Amino acid sequence: MSTAPTVAPSSQDTGPKHTWTSTGKGKVTATDALRVVILVTSALVALIPIVWLVLGSFKTPTELSQRPPSLLPDSWGLTNYADALTRFDFGTYLMNSVIVTIAATLLTLMINSMAAYALAKYNFRGRNALFLLTLATIMIPLQVILIPVYQVVASFGMVDTLWGLIIPAAATPTGVFILRQYMLSIPDELIEAARVDGAGEFKIFLRIVLPICRPALAVVAILSIMWRWNDFLWPLVVAQSESTYTLPVALARFTAQETVPFNLIIAMSVVSILPVIILFLFFQKQITTGIANTGIK
Amino acid sequence: MAKKRRMTTRLLTAAGATVLLAACAPGQVVGEGSNAEGNPLEVQSVDPAEFAGETMSYVYFTDGPDEQATRDLIAEFEDEYDVTVELEVLPYADLVTSVQARLSGGNAPDVVRLTGLTDFRADLLDLRTYLGEDYADEFLPGPVTGATGDNGELLAVPSDATLNGPFINVDMFKEAGVELPDAAAPWTWEEMVDSATEVQETTGSEYAFAMDKSGHRVSTILSQYGTALVAGNEAVLDTAKAEQALTPLIEMMGDTRMPRDFWLGSGTRYEGANEIFLAQDTPIYLSGNWQVGQFAANAEFDWAVAPNPCAEECGGFPGGKYMAALAEGPNPALAAEFIRFMNTAENQETFITAGGFLPTRADLSEEGVEYPERQEDMDVFLQDLERTPELGYEANAAPAFAGAGTELVEEISKVLADEKDLTTAMSDLKKNTESLVEELAP
Amino acid sequence: MIEAPIKQAQRRRKPPLSLRVAPYLFLLPNMAIFALFTIWPAINGFNISLYSSSNGRTFRWEGTGNYQQILGDGEFWGIVINTVVYAVTFVLLSIVIGIMLAVLVDQQRRGRSFFRAAFFIPVLISPVVVGLVWNWMLERKNGLLNTFLGTFGVPEIPWLIDNTLALIAVIVVGAWMQVGFYMLILLAGLQSIDPTLYEAAGIDGASRWSQFRNITLPLLQPSVLVVVVLSTIHGFQAFDYIYTLTGGGPVGATTLIVQYIYENGFVSPIRYGDAAAGSVLLFCAIFAITIGNYVIGRKREAV
Repeated sequence: MSTAPTVAPSSQDTGPKHTWTSTGKGKVTATDALRVVILVTSALVALIPIVWLVLGSFKTPTELSQRPPSLLPDSWGLTNYADALTRFDFGTYLMNSVIVTIAATLLTLMINSMAAYALAKYNFRGRNALFLLTLATIMIPLQVILIPVYQVVASFGMVDTLWGLIIPAAATPTGVFILRQYMLSIPDELIEAARVDGAGEFKIFLRIVLPICRPALAVVAILSIMWRWNDFLWPLVVAQSESTYTLPVALARFTAQETVPFNLIIAMSVVSILPVIILFLFFQKQITTGIANTGIK
Repeated sequence: MAKKRRMTTRLLTAAGATVLLAACAPGQVVGEGSNAEGNPLEVQSVDPAEFAGETMSYVYFTDGPDEQATRDLIAEFEDEYDVTVELEVLPYADLVTSVQARLSGGNAPDVVRLTGLTDFRADLLDLRTYLGEDYADEFLPGPVTGATGDNGELLAVPSDATLNGPFINVDMFKEAGVELPDAAAPWTWEEMVDSATEVQETTGSEYAFAMDKSGHRVSTILSQYGTALVAGNEAVLDTAKAEQALTPLIEMMGDTRMPRDFWLGSGTRYEGANEIFLAQDTPIYLSGNWQVGQFAANAEFDWAVAPNPCAEECGGFPGGKYMAALAEGPNPALAAEFIRFMNTAENQETFITAGGFLPTRADLSEEGVEYPERQEDMDVFLQDLERTPELGYEANAAPAFAGAGTELVEEISKVLADEKDLTTAMSDLKKNTESLVEELAP
Repeated sequence: MIEAPIKQAQRRRKPPLSLRVAPYLFLLPNMAIFALFTIWPAINGFNISLYSSSNGRTFRWEGTGNYQQILGDGEFWGIVINTVVYAVTFVLLSIVIGIMLAVLVDQQRRGRSFFRAAFFIPVLISPVVVGLVWNWMLERKNGLLNTFLGTFGVPEIPWLIDNTLALIAVIVVGAWMQVGFYMLILLAGLQSIDPTLYEAAGIDGASRWSQFRNITLPLLQPSVLVVVVLSTIHGFQAFDYIYTLTGGGPVGATTLIVQYIYENGFVSPIRYGDAAAGSVLLFCAIFAITIGNYVIGRKREAV
């Protein structure tokens, strides 16, 4: 049920915003100082573990066990990385990861936004039931249904193909949920007006609704990229030959029963997280300001 | 409120439909006592030339250096038989999950490398069908115990053996002026603990003794004190002996001689103490022969393999890996031939010397194996192998062993966290093991 | 019954065919994939919970036997308590920190995008790595945190060894990992609040705190609802990072329900039916909570 938005979305780009603490201009108050202190501390808390991981990836086993731990590595040599990466065909796995991540994300954006639109802006029989069903399945962890899902995928012959990695996870309930919540805030009049003008339903969705939803789509996109990139258990079970391995599977596959040197584990971890972080930093403006400008309702 | 009622009705209908669906079985249902009768064995022989052009898959996990040896041997096999072997290397922790999923999806691999057969017994091919009744005689009886089914089937071939045993930091022993143990006449538990304590006190090292957090490794001590968690389909733990065996561990973790944090800080996860040994924080580290390669490459100090300490018994605790073929795999004949090929005397020697494992073949064990490095240390393991009591093999081969090992680790943790005393913990352990054995009984 | 007026409006003239068919067509692709790869396996999972199986292929009928066994197991109830404590604390902590950071970032002009990015980066890291790096930093003897605290003379704290501290550590790391995402959602909500409301309140002489309570919080409600729903789900599903952080220890103090399910389903000896029964119970619990959240949220919205 779409209630009219309680507050009209603020018009975009109103220049400097006046919020509930904006006092005069240019003055630095104690509140400002306190705010900056809290923000900087929080940012440090958020980033230090990652920096520590990256620093650690350059250290030798001896340096890692040193007491007290050394802050900076003795050398910035790439031995750990070379050691870790020469164990497999990095290029293929990276490529597979990229293909799966991009294809699955595009598919997710398409089908999730269509479903969300139906749930947000149409009145039809079974709408609430379908929405609740979607919500309900958000909380089924993969571990729980792994074997039944595998049986379905196997019966479609998608085992050991990239399709098997792309399709099953594409209908993310979280994506539907986020997009639906956002679409609720789109005024019905906008859609009605387009209908009066004689636009087809799909055209309205494509030309009017989707552009408005860009911020929410950005959120779902980054979530989907993150999930697909970090997916481990599912690709591990579905990908069965070197040609379909994704990066996390490849990274994990040499962790044997008894001995994995910690310095290599760290280097591997950095390799696996770096691409998403770089991607995010590259697009962070679009992602964060996008969401912030209009807001999820 | 009519709408609400309609909603409720719908929900009820949906629930009803689900229950109806549940009435159909999710898969093959087994009734009570419908176990397959042992069929008279018929050996099938296939002409190797018939394999030409065929493909099979081998699901593998690696300890490191063994992987290249496996790849080389596979290349040889492919050449000789004109076939293709698809090697899939999985992380050890997820191997069982992955193979289970593939089996349930009707997509079984041909050959799997496993550390235990428990989860797959019903799915494995009886290798006698292709390799003959007497094939198992080529291997040592101990390792074969674990590969033998309840009706005498040969469910797998033991492809390498391991033995648990202590490593010592020779530099630290020398610095402390403590005598090194003699491999020919092993030390006792008391002597080992005393030496460790003395080295710690003199050198000021962090700990005196460290071991991996694993039920398998703790079983070494149980075995030395003359007991085991399970044997075959029976819980055989002698709680008095177990208490005696674990008391030194609990005591050492009570003071600073053993890392207590290490034991409590990782929950049910396996945790290896190799980093502690490599950092020279402990003079003695109880692990197993698979560490030799890693230490040879990474240790920045002089180290050696020490003989297992004796109590009631001497020797270590055995382990090892198996190569098994899945009955549902697409190409069982080729799978059996592949397993045979990988375990000829020559090929097994190639494999185990590369990986730093011990032989499972009777002939190799007899003749001795030459390792490319650290021969002396490997010899200590080989010597201990002869002192290892039979009970260890029976324990390691038992279906309930892995589960009971997890319980053992949990109970020790509870003692360390002061949740119960050792006596209670051991009797609880025995009870839990008994119910595990019952659950897994054929 | 906020839907009534629209319902009546629609009853007056029947919508054209295209309008009646369109929603189903829009839903089709998503729901088809969804039904095949989530719903059907889930129903199958429910089915399996009525059997016992050690491999997911051969089954023995148990009826409610698995449920009886789980519910009669003292260990299971300990895990349920851990999970509830974890989830409730995690949700509260996430919301409080999320709102705090969102409000602060919203007011900060300089370097706003830096802070936004900094808080979001932990969200991107794979849970397995999160557990690993925090395990390393929280080590008692040589961890970064204790080394840092040591320079102020604080004695070594057994973060992952003491039952209570370990649970706290697990909750805080969980929040560390997710709060950046919640912050972005809340920030978006904040920025959609009409600034003239604050101006009016300012003229009336309302204090900042009362502005926050009377304007910000109520108008932030919809975003908070999204965060509550998502964090509840995250809270009940937490597993991967905990497994590498504490392994569920010490002595089960941080073992949550998904780990219980995972270990029954995939660690020898495999008890597939128990795992399935555990998941059905988990599913029912979260389903009830989510619907509760949703209904309460909608009631508030309607007021």
